[in-house]
Amino acid sequence: MPFRLRSAAPFTGLIAGLALAVAPALSPAVAPTGPLVAPAAAQSTSQPVLRIGAIPDQKPEKLNRLYPLVAGELSRQLGVKVKYVPVVDYAAAVSAFRTGDLDLVWFGGLTGVQARLQRPGAKVLAQRDIDVSFHSVFIGNVRSGLRPFNQQKGLTTLKGRRFTFGSESSTSGRLMPQYFLQQAGVKLSDFAGGAPGFSGSHDATIALVQSGAYDAGVVNEQVWRASLHDGKANRARVQALWRSPGYPDYHWIAQPDLDRRFGAGFTTKLQQAILSWRPSDPEQKQILSLFGAQQFTKASPEAYGRIEQVGRSIGKIR
Amino acid sequence: MRPAPPLLMLLPALVLLPVLALLPSQWHGGGGELIGRFLLAAVQPSLDPVVLRSIMGGLAVTLGMAFLGWSASLVLGLVLGAASSRTVWSTLSGHRWPAEALRRLLAIPRSVHELIWGLILLQLLGLQPVVAVLAIALPFGALVARVIADLLDTLPTHTLEALRGGGAPAPAALLTALGPPLLPGLLSYGGYRLECALRSATLLGVFGLGGLGTELRLTMQSLEFRELWSGLWLLLAVMLALETGVARLRRRWLMPSRLGLAGGGVGRRGREMVLALLALVPLGLVVARALGVEASALLRRPPLPALPPPDWAAVAALPWPALVAGTVVLTLVAACLAVGLAPLQWLLVAPWPAMKMLMRLGWALQRLWPPPLTALLLLFLLQPGLLTAALALGLHNLGILGRLLLESAVDSGAGRQQALLGAGSGPRQALLYGRLAPVANAYLAYGAYRADVMLRETVVVGLVGATGLGSQLMESLSSFAWDQILALVAVYALLTLLGEEISDRARHRLLEGKGQREREASQLNTSY
Repeated sequence: MPFRLRSAAPFTGLIAGLALAVAPALSPAVAPTGPLVAPAAAQSTSQPVLRIGAIPDQKPEKLNRLYPLVAGELSRQLGVKVKYVPVVDYAAAVSAFRTGDLDLVWFGGLTGVQARLQRPGAKVLAQRDIDVSFHSVFIGNVRSGLRPFNQQKGLTTLKGRRFTFGSESSTSGRLMPQYFLQQAGVKLSDFAGGAPGFSGSHDATIALVQSGAYDAGVVNEQVWRASLHDGKANRARVQALWRSPGYPDYHWIAQPDLDRRFGAGFTTKLQQAILSWRPSDPEQKQILSLFGAQQFTKASPEAYGRIEQVGRSIGKIR
Repeated sequence: MRPAPPLLMLLPALVLLPVLALLPSQWHGGGGELIGRFLLAAVQPSLDPVVLRSIMGGLAVTLGMAFLGWSASLVLGLVLGAASSRTVWSTLSGHRWPAEALRRLLAIPRSVHELIWGLILLQLLGLQPVVAVLAIALPFGALVARVIADLLDTLPTHTLEALRGGGAPAPAALLTALGPPLLPGLLSYGGYRLECALRSATLLGVFGLGGLGTELRLTMQSLEFRELWSGLWLLLAVMLALETGVARLRRRWLMPSRLGLAGGGVGRRGREMVLALLALVPLGLVVARALGVEASALLRRPPLPALPPPDWAAVAALPWPALVAGTVVLTLVAACLAVGLAPLQWLLVAPWPAMKMLMRLGWALQRLWPPPLTALLLLFLLQPGLLTAALALGLHNLGILGRLLLESAVDSGAGRQQALLGAGSGPRQALLYGRLAPVANAYLAYGAYRADVMLRETVVVGLVGATGLGSQLMESLSSFAWDQILALVAVYALLTLLGEEISDRARHRLLEGKGQREREASQLNTSY
């Protein structure tokens, strides 16, 4: 009955199309970056899986390159299964850590403090050499007439200008800059439009200030340098205005119960593994260079006391 | 005096006057080079195998999530829709108030954006694929419920009255009298919701699963335009294929066969529908299994966060009047732009078929680009502010409304237009009075539903500066300030209710007389 067959074609076609599109999810060869097994399901199997995550502060291509490398390296050193679980934003990373769905997370200063407050007992394992004293850079559009300054007081020149932060939860793109602004006597309502923008990322901040949409903004120094280096930031159109004092930023945080789930002393072994990465090992060199660091060093929770204090004073931590 | 429907349809476009007047003052044009890079990247998307593989995988996850979220929202919407229908309640119990109460209660899930639902559910259920499904299913289910209830309550009731009068028990009478006439509306609206679910899953960035949304969002934020376009082209292909497939099915199942006997005979449509439905169930199970969506995850209760004592003084200290005013103005301007521009553009290009093709392509791209991307591109040329935010939301929704207008006007038949053309009217007049006029009321009603969506979407265009409640909600979420989030969601719900009340009243005023009301019901069916 050829007619009947043809008459059913549109919807079977639609369904076949859907099925085809979903088919890749079934084949491990083209598995997406995300896990295909729910974390809960993974937990119930006999061998525990260490789930690592990170705040998404980089382009996805870099995240997708870096964290599977980290997972592979940790798995090799520790002899356990390690899986990278991507999350969609900073707040989601904090929440997933609180609910126990991520075991080891690369947090920023503020998100790390938020995570430890929501998950008491969580352990600060390590930071990069550059995180001990991290800096923000205030940048301005060249045509805006804003000029570089050496004193923090110079921040008052931003009053009445269109200004953007990065992500709401970013330490270097929002928290500490807001604190420095406050110290200089600049309120958020002093900016043009009565409030700052939130560009969502450091890259977007640079592009938007360079284009002139915003007169000024603030970014993480590491990203600013990289953008100058690869030409994404055009010195003729966007310039650094002021480099902030240093403060502690990114760090690795682990769940409090790893020893119970993976065996006594696991947390220490995990910390030792991260601290042992050196540029002399080709695999580890790649990881370190993607992190933009020479090596990781021990970090203590006390170092982030100041971040917590600032977070509380501007209402990001309650 | 009331303007005629086709002119009423163009009325919202009047908002263009202030918008165009203000635009020059907002122009900075400094990012032309970035726009150039963005456009250039369209013709040279990244073909890096690593990128492509991750996009293909992301697409599969996104499609699966959209499909599951859509199925769940339809089931939820049908049940809740019947439960919030005045006709159903008054037939069953003689009271209408439970319907009214439920209808208002459902404004809460409806007024919260999928993204916010996702973050809230993440708190309750942990990082589970099922979170993404629910984040789509809850607001969409509540929206479907509203449309179903509206459809049910505008259906002619004489069959129901006759059956009841004849002594049929209430449930049986309801099913027999309202079931079959509801089916066309349900089918075409259901198909349309699948497209919405795809768009939504794309914006959502599925929690803990990656998905195309995460890829698009992060590539956009890091301005990797070539990688962004690899995802966008693929998504465009899928989106158009889906839209075409849904439109075909809709036409096949809903349009009375023109050549009467040439169809597959009696019962063909019903058989196909049952077959399709049967095919959907195992497909859903397979997809759920592949993505690790488990119903048991709903029972999982990770510890709730230690809630700090609420600080109501701080909540009260938020600049509420400014936040609400900003949000309302933003939504209204965006809604007027989207609703008014679609027929206007069509009228302008009416004489030139090539221009019409261009317009359709433009609309496809507009609904393809998530609102944050449109906002970013606009910021390369315009200063941040309410106007830019309104343009971003307006243009995105114009792409959606334009397609719906085209589709419903095609269904309204070309006969009248041809007659007018033959009688010597110009192409624009023939289009306006021949094709657009019959669908004007339904189109405007749809525009009102869409305004609800735009109100929710004010949370995703925060990068253009303060956008009122939306920016504040994102800020409160990132501070984990539950008291503020609660208050903001309540205000969103109130605004949604208010907007629905006003649009309902406007619609009822437009549809005076029962005959017109029935015609409206049948038009609604074809226009969603």
